[in-house]
Amino acid sequence: MIQPQTHLNVADNSGARELMCIRILGASNRRYAHIGDVIVAVIKEAVPNMPLEKSEVVRAVIVRTCKELKRDNGMIIRYDDNAAVVIDQEGNPKGTRIFGAIPRELRQLNFTKIVSLAPEVL
Amino acid sequence: MNIYSGPLHHRTVSISCTKSSISGDHFRRELELLPKPRNISLSNFNGCQSLQMPASQSHKSLFPRVAVGSNVSEEDTDDMYDDLFKKYGKVVFRSNDQKSAIKEVDDDAECLSFAVALAKVASDVKGADIKLLFVKPLVYWTRFFIIVTAFSRPQVDAIGTRIRDLAEAQYGRTASGDFKPNSWTLLDFGDVVVHIFLPPQRDFYNLEEFYANATLIDLPFENQQPFRN
Repeated sequence: MIQPQTHLNVADNSGARELMCIRILGASNRRYAHIGDVIVAVIKEAVPNMPLEKSEVVRAVIVRTCKELKRDNGMIIRYDDNAAVVIDQEGNPKGTRIFGAIPRELRQLNFTKIVSLAPEVL
Repeated sequence: MNIYSGPLHHRTVSISCTKSSISGDHFRRELELLPKPRNISLSNFNGCQSLQMPASQSHKSLFPRVAVGSNVSEEDTDDMYDDLFKKYGKVVFRSNDQKSAIKEVDDDAECLSFAVALAKVASDVKGADIKLLFVKPLVYWTRFFIIVTAFSRPQVDAIGTRIRDLAEAQYGRTASGDFKPNSWTLLDFGDVVVHIFLPPQRDFYNLEEFYANATLIDLPFENQQPFRN
């Protein structure tokens, strides 16, 4: 359940370290975002000497949430953190590698690029 | 990160595959609350591939409470489990939907022919540096990767359209993924995933290095020298 003002970790090597959600894309008055949703976020913390800077506005895909993700077969996945992957306007990830485990639902939501860069898919 | 598995009505018997968030006491208490312990058979654990029995002594006391029938004493159930362990090993559940080895090989061969056909099409449209990787041992979600370099967006579009047409006409498969030409265009056919890169993006993402352990499959047309006068 990601809403504006939620802080998220960054699960890639794009150079951002922490994001703050400022808008959820998809509908006009959407309250919460879940895994696989695209948000507009601002970079709150960045790694020095990397292309992304602090206070830059970027798009990101949510890949992990503390809120449980339920599957049809009864499996429930809950991560320890809220994390997102920074993408550009075309949907390509800005980093070259993804960190940590990501769920396979991203593939159904047409984020196979992120899935193919990830080390572990649940 | 926690993963709970099992049907929803057996919520209390949840398995934590990575880190256990349910302590032993909690687990026991919940089991006692269940009206009919005999209903809990191991076949109810549909979600997990295999259920490993805990090896440590401290956890052993959990399982007699799940034992079948109330008149069976603890020693008997222990013996029963020992027998089962001897017979089947520590893995006491295996999902039924696993395919036989022959079927797997057949599927692999079919996907390989499909992937080679797609790579051939990419080569016909002058895609460069075509690599076919067998990634099934590394990732479970697909079998083959085709990585192609195209030199312009119209060429990306041409390769994407040709591949999509061939897959639909000859193999009856449709791709999900990008429909607009992109600097990294991805076509997802399920078992075969095609990546079409522009040269800078190919260097940037360097997928070959990430999947360096995958088997590189030689393509029949790759070594043929183009005809020159």
